Amino acid sequence: MRSVFRLSLRNLASNRLRFALTAFSVLLGVSFVVASFVLTDGLLKTFDNIVEDANADIDAQVRAKSDFEEVAFEDRPIDQSLVEVVSAVDGVGEVSPGTESGKIVPVKANGDPVETAGAPILSFNWTGSSLSPLTLVVGEAPDGAGEFAIDESSADREDLVVGETYDIIGTEGREPFELVGLTRFGDENALAGAVLMSFTLDELQRIDGTEGLLQWINVSAAPDVEDAVLIERLEEALPEDIEAVKGDVIIEEDQDEFSTVVNIFGNILLAFALVAVFVSTFIISNTFNILLGQRVRQLALLRALGASAGQVRFSAVLEALIIGVVASVLGLGGGVLLAVGLRELMNVLGFSLPSIDIILSTRTIIVAALVGIGVTLGASLSPARRAASVPPVAAMRAGFRFGSGEGTRRTIIAIVLAVLGIAGMGYGLFGGSDDTALLLLALGLGAVLVFVAVSMFAPLFSSPSASFLGSPLEHVPRSKITGHMARENAARNNKRTASTAAGLMIGLALIAMASVVASSLKESFRAELGSTLVADYLITPATDGGQFSNQLAAEVAALPEFSEVSAVRYGAARIDGDEKGVVGTDFTVLTDLLDVDVLDGDPVASADPGFVLLTQEAADDNGVEVGDPLMVEFAATGSQILTVGAIYDNPFLIAHYLVDLSGWDANFDAQNDNVIAAKAASGVELADADAALTSLEDAFPQLEFDTRDEFREALEGELDSLLVIINVFLGLAIIIALLGITNTMALSVLERTQEIGLMRAIGMTRRQTRSLIRFEAAVVSLFGALLGVLVGLAFGWIAVIAIPESLIDRIAIPVGTLVFYVVLATIAGLIAASFPARRASRLNVLDAIAHM
Amino acid sequence: MTEVTQNQAESHEPTGPSAATMAASAVGLTKVYGEGNTQVVALDHVDIGFEAGKLTAIMGPSGSGKSTLLHCMAGLDNVSEGEVHVGETKISTLSDKELTLLRRERMGFIFQAFNLVPTLTAEENILLPLLLGGREPDSEWKDRVVDTLALRDRLAHRPDELSGGQQQRVAVARALVTRPDIIFADEPTGNLDSISGQEVLGFLRRAVDDWHQTVVMVTHDPGAAGYADVVVFLRDGRQVGRLEEPTADLVLDRIRALEV
Ligand SMILES: Nc1ncnc2c1ncn2[C@@H]1O[C@H](COP(=O)(O)OP(=O)(O)O)[C@@H](O)[C@H]1O
Ligand SMILES: [Mg+2]
Repeated sequence: MRSVFRLSLRNLASNRLRFALTAFSVLLGVSFVVASFVLTDGLLKTFDNIVEDANADIDAQVRAKSDFEEVAFEDRPIDQSLVEVVSAVDGVGEVSPGTESGKIVPVKANGDPVETAGAPILSFNWTGSSLSPLTLVVGEAPDGAGEFAIDESSADREDLVVGETYDIIGTEGREPFELVGLTRFGDENALAGAVLMSFTLDELQRIDGTEGLLQWINVSAAPDVEDAVLIERLEEALPEDIEAVKGDVIIEEDQDEFSTVVNIFGNILLAFALVAVFVSTFIISNTFNILLGQRVRQLALLRALGASAGQVRFSAVLEALIIGVVASVLGLGGGVLLAVGLRELMNVLGFSLPSIDIILSTRTIIVAALVGIGVTLGASLSPARRAASVPPVAAMRAGFRFGSGEGTRRTIIAIVLAVLGIAGMGYGLFGGSDDTALLLLALGLGAVLVFVAVSMFAPLFSSPSASFLGSPLEHVPRSKITGHMARENAARNNKRTASTAAGLMIGLALIAMASVVASSLKESFRAELGSTLVADYLITPATDGGQFSNQLAAEVAALPEFSEVSAVRYGAARIDGDEKGVVGTDFTVLTDLLDVDVLDGDPVASADPGFVLLTQEAADDNGVEVGDPLMVEFAATGSQILTVGAIYDNPFLIAHYLVDLSGWDANFDAQNDNVIAAKAASGVELADADAALTSLEDAFPQLEFDTRDEFREALEGELDSLLVIINVFLGLAIIIALLGITNTMALSVLERTQEIGLMRAIGMTRRQTRSLIRFEAAVVSLFGALLGVLVGLAFGWIAVIAIPESLIDRIAIPVGTLVFYVVLATIAGLIAASFPARRASRLNVLDAIAHM
Repeated sequence: MTEVTQNQAESHEPTGPSAATMAASAVGLTKVYGEGNTQVVALDHVDIGFEAGKLTAIMGPSGSGKSTLLHCMAGLDNVSEGEVHVGETKISTLSDKELTLLRRERMGFIFQAFNLVPTLTAEENILLPLLLGGREPDSEWKDRVVDTLALRDRLAHRPDELSGGQQQRVAVARALVTRPDIIFADEPTGNLDSISGQEVLGFLRRAVDDWHQTVVMVTHDPGAAGYADVVVFLRDGRQVGRLEEPTADLVLDRIRALEV
């Protein structure tokens, strides 16, 4: 066994570069996995700490009772008079009333409103209380009308200077406020890009339009009073619909909210990491196989000298084990660095994340080891088995070759895997289980099996394909023969070409799938928008989730250039036990603005608080028809029996349940508008309508006034940015795949040392030698990319079928984009081969000949 | 002792024909491998010329520097000292690219084994130096070479479908197809059975006689050397003898004498 170990080490040492590249591809995958864990753990811990610090001194919080999970995006308000009730309770220490608003936007000196990359802009009342997480770091606290403070990072980012006056847009319009101080949230002001403003309670309520209302009252217990006792006494004093909860509960709720977001983020990172790991598995396996082929004679000699098949197998597995261990250990370090790097990157992109604690949990270490060692070991099993199958006589006989991978057994296995994979994907997409994690797992494993199956089929057609794809190379001007030889080389070893291409295949397949889904989504959306949206204008907040003055809708409606105008509000209500999205809109103009395709009933006649409109789908769910009663439970008013006023077909841009704005006002807490849809009066040119809106646009700089086309472009732009981010992350898998191409080409160069030396001797220039290697890599890459696009088209097609009709109702293939990716991948392959190409061109001709 | 004196006398003799008729020549050619303790002097101030239109054989014991001499003359290896001329061209100052073009256009090569590119057909292998230069073959000449070497019905085959003798004939055809100034052959028959070997030697002989080619061939087979016009003997990196109009027996005698 000692000697086997020494043999493994010796092999590793003599193929240092090869193994280094192999280990590097594993290392990248492991690093990405580790980074996603480290980042997630670190962020969770940090946010937990922030939440704990922020709420540390709160012993109890008084707030509206609500068993709704998501009510109109904000807590329900409570009456300010409760402060006196609370203060009067025996055992209460400090009392800190609070409210929060997401409707207030500051305007910068240059006249532009502050915008974020998606994080909220929040305003709080300044309490100065120890119960608040905010502390003052510069200037003074807001202490009267016309004063505000803002957090130090936002001031820095948006160039807001203490002492200067800025316009603040509230729900009641725009007015100047003096910036009197800068605040800090917790120790680091790590707000992940959010903006925090502070006002006095009175001012905040005034500009928020919520006079006399609070969202919570924080309370500390007087000395010697138990929290539980305090809660009990508070509950006793408070009305039925108001509750008092322990500080711990608030901390837990907030932490849960953060961890949900962080975990989603972490899982997405992990998914990309696993793709990278998967690709690196192919590369390792391929490298082992090639090295094995080059060592046949050595192995045979060992066997001839008496090494057992088991020993040979063991030495091959041992090599993999050593690489796996090294890659895992380095991957742990790499992962930590990558986590820090990713965090920096996010900060540059405007999400100011807190500096995270580096937490290498046992789980992270175990997973890193499992991934690194597991993947290398797994990839080495089949090469090791083949190594052990080398007959001793091969030492004496030239030309022993392993099978070319076309065996019947292999084909059968591939078919079985393909069937299992497709079944897994089918279950994941159409299985309809409630367990999302299970569905995703089935989908992922299914895709993995399909990829493995495709890579097993690939040797059946890789040689003719490469030969076909390489045929244009024969027309390379000046050096037809180089192109010809590159083509022949690419077609030379079907198995090697297939497994080298497999890495790119996977990366390109995922990218192609994402592109197909995205462009189908875009096309569907565009078509829907064309046929459904009748309104000429949509007015939306520039910062997601923002709301604005209800006054604006009336002002637009007052303009003679516009005929139909409706505000739109988003909320939720419980129907048959489940929370559903409910949209409020003006039923009298609904169909003039949005062609919802009314099937039965009359929306205009239902413009009354007692009616609800629903889609056919929702009607079927509830088993109701027009005229039937439907029980709807609102957070503010409890269960109400509404009448089904109309049933429509198309929930595009809105929801499955609609109430009239009058119904909204009756059943929801006061809320501002989320969107305004407006239609120009007949005969009014769009340009004139545009001009009429100009003064409003100036008054509401925080809003986007979009025409239908602008609205579509804005949404498509968001989709495109998302696609770019996905592709960037998939880029890692592509990089690993390219590393695999570099590795394979380097091994091929080594293997063909004699041949290259011979050609150099009889007159091949260095440049031609380089082209030879690069062209070959380009052909292999092109093959992998095309295969990937084909698989990706199939995946995309399945995904489009699986996604509900209401989102995607057609498939669109972005031919141009796909061609672009294929070309890009081919060029990348060409570049990946630069290093082996250089090596080939610098081979010492004599050394090469001496090989003979 | 007498032999040694004779050798010295010979090597100082002005070597017959003038430099103008030399296809390649070297003056003071020295090649040292390695440094210090491990230093090996593979060639030690060799003055030599290869006459145009002749078949020269280089003989000598293993390790005497035969291959090194060939490589230095062909610009495949750089020299430590001395000068090498191919025709009128001094090759020690040429760049890699210039050397490559020189080899492609003015030299032919036949190695002992692994002479052919496995992915190319016999025909493509033959034409490879021309194809690399983007040149059109002179088809009349190519046909003549192919027919002379009896390769007509093997042109579409790949090397692994050819016998050792056929492979070597393809290599000879490749060396001839550019009508080079000089052909270097390093033990071209070393891997062949005697009949195939004699065939190949016969072709080299004909190339010189009929087509006025110049061939320099390393061999350790006295029989092969018998095909040559001149035999040059090397030992320990020095030229130790020269024999014109050799026969196998004369060569054998000389080898015995040198190795005493
Ligand atoms: N690349 C090299 N490195 C070191 N020594 C070499 C190298 N090539 C040849 N030699 C040495 O130079 C001498 C001449 O070698 P070579 O020309 O191959 O001999 P021959 O072809 O006559 O057998 C030998 O001693 C050999 O060991
Ligand atoms: Mg030799």
